Amino acid sequence: MRMQEILILKIVVRFVIPFIQVYGFYVITAGHLSPGGGFAGGTIVAASMVLYALTFDASQGLEKLSHERASLFESLGAIWYVALGFLGILVGGNFLTNGQIGIPLGTPGYLISGGLIPLLSFGIGIKVAVTVVSLYYSLVEED
Amino acid sequence: MAEALAALGQNYFFYYALILFMVGFYTTLSHSNILKKIIGINIMETSIFLFFVALGYVEGGQAPIMGRGAEGGPYMNPLPSALILTGIVVSVSITAFALALMVKLYHFYGTLDADEIVMLRGERQ
Amino acid sequence: MAILDLLLLSILVLCALAAVRTRDLLGAVIIYAAYSLLMAIIWLQLGSPDVAITEAALGAGVTTILMIATISKTGRYE
Repeated sequence: MRMQEILILKIVVRFVIPFIQVYGFYVITAGHLSPGGGFAGGTIVAASMVLYALTFDASQGLEKLSHERASLFESLGAIWYVALGFLGILVGGNFLTNGQIGIPLGTPGYLISGGLIPLLSFGIGIKVAVTVVSLYYSLVEED
Repeated sequence: MAEALAALGQNYFFYYALILFMVGFYTTLSHSNILKKIIGINIMETSIFLFFVALGYVEGGQAPIMGRGAEGGPYMNPLPSALILTGIVVSVSITAFALALMVKLYHFYGTLDADEIVMLRGERQ
Repeated sequence: MAILDLLLLSILVLCALAAVRTRDLLGAVIIYAAYSLLMAIIWLQLGSPDVAITEAALGAGVTTILMIATISKTGRYE
């Protein structure tokens, strides 16, 4: 039986993927409060996209995230991190200065806290997710 | 003597890390299939991570997370965890790179057996 | 707690040996995924949930996917 004919798998995967992605984004956003963070959450988001490509087809997955779009998102994640780091230098501090750049620090233990760190882990999450997905595509693609 | 034996018995994580390292090392040396070699390298890596994280274990401690309330008490040592997090990332990168090289080898030689690849290389020269 | 740790570690060694001895490469990769999940539980026992969540996502998820992709490109049996 070929992969394209399994109906149950397709419907279940279509139903499960949003939940995996919501959990991945939760792990990214709550990275400064609980275990996890940008890297683990990004990997979970990437796992959902790889699940899509495994169930349907690699070419159908490539339509959702082509190589050009993947490299664009990858670069955007890195640039986001470095730009947030350079904000500290603009106000006269070190690279990745947290307190003095105007982002509210919030109360410890709540979601809006830590200043720069949730924004940084958001950038890390996007970069890691796209990198893992393109790793899978470049391994599975016919050359 | 009895105290020394009791102290040795408490550190059972280290023995299991040693056993796992030996299993991985044996696999890497003795199996000729390249995917089996990669799995062996992964087992060796996880055994070393287990050794490091077990070094930071504190008897009766809790995970070092600052929550709302519920502070105090002994914590586990967070430094080995932070180091091993980087180690896991490096291990996955090494695995991905090795697998890509393995696909290239299969296209070039048509086999995944390391001994056969060595023989084929000998014939070509 | 020590009994649970010893049990988990013993199953871990068994999983490692089984992954090494299996002739079927796809079966070896699936056993390796089970090994990674057991490792994640052990790290939760050792009080580092950060490492546990990363291992569950990376060791059991991404490594298995990459190895299965490689097997689909090459051969299944050694």
